[in-house]
Amino acid sequence: MAITRRQFLRRGGLATAGTLLGPGLFGHPFVRGALATPGLDRYFVVLQLDGGNDGLNTVTPIDDGGGTLRSDYEHARLAGNGGLRLASSSLLPLGVAGISGADPNTGAALGLHPGFGGVPGVGAGAGGLYSLYQQGKVAVVQACGYPDYSLSHAEAHSIWSSANPFSLGAYAGGGWLGRHLAARYGATEVPGACIERSVAAELRQSATGVLAIERLDDFDFPYDPSDDAADVAAKRAAFLAACQQHVVAPPYANIGTTGTATLESSESYHTLGRTPLHAAYGELDRSLGYDFREIARIIQGVAAGTPNVAARYFHLRNGGYDTHSDQKGADPTGQHFSLHAEVGAALRLFFDDLEQIDSGLSDKVVVLVWSEFSRRPMQNDNGTDHGSQGPMFLVGGKVNGGVYGNHPNIAESAWDGDGNTVYAQSGAFRSTDIRDVYGTTLKHWLGLSAAQAAALLPTDSVAALAADEQWQSPNFDLVRPAGGLPLFKA
Amino acid sequence: MAQGDVLTRAKARHLLRRTGFGAMPAEVDRLLASSATVGDAADRIVRFNPKGFKPGGRYYSNIHDNWIDWMLKTTQPLAEKLTLFWHDHFATAYSKVQSVKLMAQQNQYLRKNGVGSFKDLVKGINRDPAMIEYLDTVRNDKAIPNENYARELQELFTLGTRNLRGGESDANYTQADIVQIARAFTGWGYSRTKPVFRDYAHDFVAEFGSVRGPKVIYKSTGGFGSGGRDFAQAGEGAGEIDQVVDVIFEHRDWEGENTVARRTAKRLFEYFAHGGFSTIAVPSPQLDAIDEVIATSGFTTSWNVAALVREILVHDRFYDSLSDRSLKSVRWPVDLAVGTLRVLGMKPKGRYKYIPGGRYGGLLDHMQNMGQTVLEPPSVFGWDWESSWVSSATLLARYGFVRDVAARYAEGFAPLALLGISSGDPDVVVNAVAEYLGVKDDLSAGEIAAFKAFLGGPVNLANDWEVRRKIHGLFVLVMQAPAYQLH
Repeated sequence: MAITRRQFLRRGGLATAGTLLGPGLFGHPFVRGALATPGLDRYFVVLQLDGGNDGLNTVTPIDDGGGTLRSDYEHARLAGNGGLRLASSSLLPLGVAGISGADPNTGAALGLHPGFGGVPGVGAGAGGLYSLYQQGKVAVVQACGYPDYSLSHAEAHSIWSSANPFSLGAYAGGGWLGRHLAARYGATEVPGACIERSVAAELRQSATGVLAIERLDDFDFPYDPSDDAADVAAKRAAFLAACQQHVVAPPYANIGTTGTATLESSESYHTLGRTPLHAAYGELDRSLGYDFREIARIIQGVAAGTPNVAARYFHLRNGGYDTHSDQKGADPTGQHFSLHAEVGAALRLFFDDLEQIDSGLSDKVVVLVWSEFSRRPMQNDNGTDHGSQGPMFLVGGKVNGGVYGNHPNIAESAWDGDGNTVYAQSGAFRSTDIRDVYGTTLKHWLGLSAAQAAALLPTDSVAALAADEQWQSPNFDLVRPAGGLPLFKA
Repeated sequence: MAQGDVLTRAKARHLLRRTGFGAMPAEVDRLLASSATVGDAADRIVRFNPKGFKPGGRYYSNIHDNWIDWMLKTTQPLAEKLTLFWHDHFATAYSKVQSVKLMAQQNQYLRKNGVGSFKDLVKGINRDPAMIEYLDTVRNDKAIPNENYARELQELFTLGTRNLRGGESDANYTQADIVQIARAFTGWGYSRTKPVFRDYAHDFVAEFGSVRGPKVIYKSTGGFGSGGRDFAQAGEGAGEIDQVVDVIFEHRDWEGENTVARRTAKRLFEYFAHGGFSTIAVPSPQLDAIDEVIATSGFTTSWNVAALVREILVHDRFYDSLSDRSLKSVRWPVDLAVGTLRVLGMKPKGRYKYIPGGRYGGLLDHMQNMGQTVLEPPSVFGWDWESSWVSSATLLARYGFVRDVAARYAEGFAPLALLGISSGDPDVVVNAVAEYLGVKDDLSAGEIAAFKAFLGGPVNLANDWEVRRKIHGLFVLVMQAPAYQLH
């Protein structure tokens, strides 16, 4: 344990979930005007793995290559009862036809956890995330993180969502994607939908509409069962007037505006039809699959030009990753295996469904997968405690599949004082800052200029940290080291 | 300090709503009749010996429904408001604990001890079997300690991650403190409904000291000096988890203020008063208020929760939202549900506690949709408060719930008996309904006009069909409006 982390640098005024982004930043004419570009015919989905996914048992070294990754892995991840070690032979190799599966830094061959092969015995989504990878649709971005990482779920979650590690005031309270939406869309538009009960932190802001929908079939306004058409019309008018006439009282003005958006959207979203693979999600029978089905239905509706259905930004989450105990390794009945199987199969099914809706539609959708932290390299009795940098996935027809960024240095000699891997912006084991991933996505998928993306993503300027311990040189053009391909195809 | 202030009707209603579940006009009258000042009213509200209620039943849905039922009928609403607060604070979920018995036992524990010493409350929760299961104390092996409980004990139950004042060195603890405190909890587990300590499974310095050192915490924070504090100096073993709490409760932030007292007072202030305290670095006026209620209640000596709450209820800041609407709070779904049922005189019915109107859905189903199922919080953080309660999904669920409670053919809903009006004039009707539901002061002229437009003219109160269509309908509309979601 050579390096001692400078712990808990100041994050002044870190806002809790209750605070919304004020209008300050986007009152700036440059930001607002510059982002008011015409909409792209694209969709963006954020999938959050809630609880801190064990990245080391997600993207795992198969061998040492020219370094010591596999040896280091076997030192930290034990075999036997309670051991989490994934045998090399159990891993799904990232080296497939036309795509290198080697860690760019050490040359170690990498593999996905066997759970990413799909849900055993279930035909729907068979092949899982790995089959999408084999099709060249999955970018694996290793060791994603930010400076002075937090081991608190709440803080880490807030930082990943806000892309604002040091809680700079102008960016506080809102999500990084929310800042983008606030700059791009107006107060009466509804560009976002979360398939969950609340609006996700990434999309949170108060300038434009983001829906929260659990199930489209239940998303209808509750008039009285015995209301006739005249009663409904009278209530509808009175309800909308009450929402609009409510004296605006920040921070709760959104109760009125959300009420209006809810009533109006319920009238259009509730009627959206089934997708071609509707039944297959039922066969998979996993909650995340059903959540993806709702997104597929909405995208189908948007693509068909359904009036008042315009969401292009989505959020959904899968929980259960806080595997302090009973995590299990390659055991198909284990917690971690089941989570990976569910995510992979749901993604596979979702992309299959998109293709069935309209051939080429899967080229218009990108899914970004993240988790608030990885787990400690050294396992505990039969689980893992909170860690630092971890892998992200970007999935889509226009993604150049393969391995991006370096595997973290998991050698014990490189652990910090907490036994975790270290964030660095230089050296052989350079990490990938989450803002480079977000920025590359904003620029190359969502059509922003580098300057526009930079305006949304604060750089670090922290006196207590060395230059290479913080993020000062944005790179919004992430490139796959093998072959020099950009993250997104043109 | 507002304690000598005359108790106005608005303040009386605010007190009752924030310390209970909604306020019927008759209850406001009673409080006004019994209490001349704000201080009198606060004394009356906090003075009670908590009952020993324990939610019974075989299944999760039973204990859920039975606790809500108890909230509806209790004569000690503040006891339930506090039990709910502690449940959110020491969040523990049935889905992981998988024992109805242990969840019910913890609920009773919080109710009986939630008004006494906060320090004792924490010591007790350390050895509460549901908690031992939920945060992995039971899996905290001396060979490889599990940090889950040690982290949350500091982050969520006592210190918080950072000083409330913010500033350059605002961290309250380090990862090393978590690792050390985890050692104290090794060897603890439970058998049936009782905590047990096993000496042989405990991390003793004799065995692990060469690698992990002495059991010293807070070498760089807490105001203990660079030597920190040894929580095993009074002896190793079962007593360590109490000694750890004693040290934590002595922790001071960089301003020299008691860290646990500040954070606890902040959370209670926020819970009872408003969301103006909700950032981690708390702005000065709010932090001053926090320090004041700590001082006047003697909280850092007695740790008495009832005394602290009493001081919050008589503090000027508690009444801020009466004059500044931006300081309203979003009602928790439990508050909305219990408050609505209670104030409208409605009861869930039958085995599944269905709401007798509209779609006749079960109480648990409604609560799930609104986003708050007691005894099943979403995570160790409990529920997100304030605007996090608000989304299109949860608002639709609220609209649906109030629709069902006051539906046109809701069984037992008798609005005219509640209102006591004899005129169907739209001004009279809208005024009476808004007053009864406690939102009159919060409605704009535009909202009132919208409600009158819904009535479309005078209502014939002798005509049952018209009453159901218009008066029931107006109740539903007012309860769906933004103002009713706040308090």
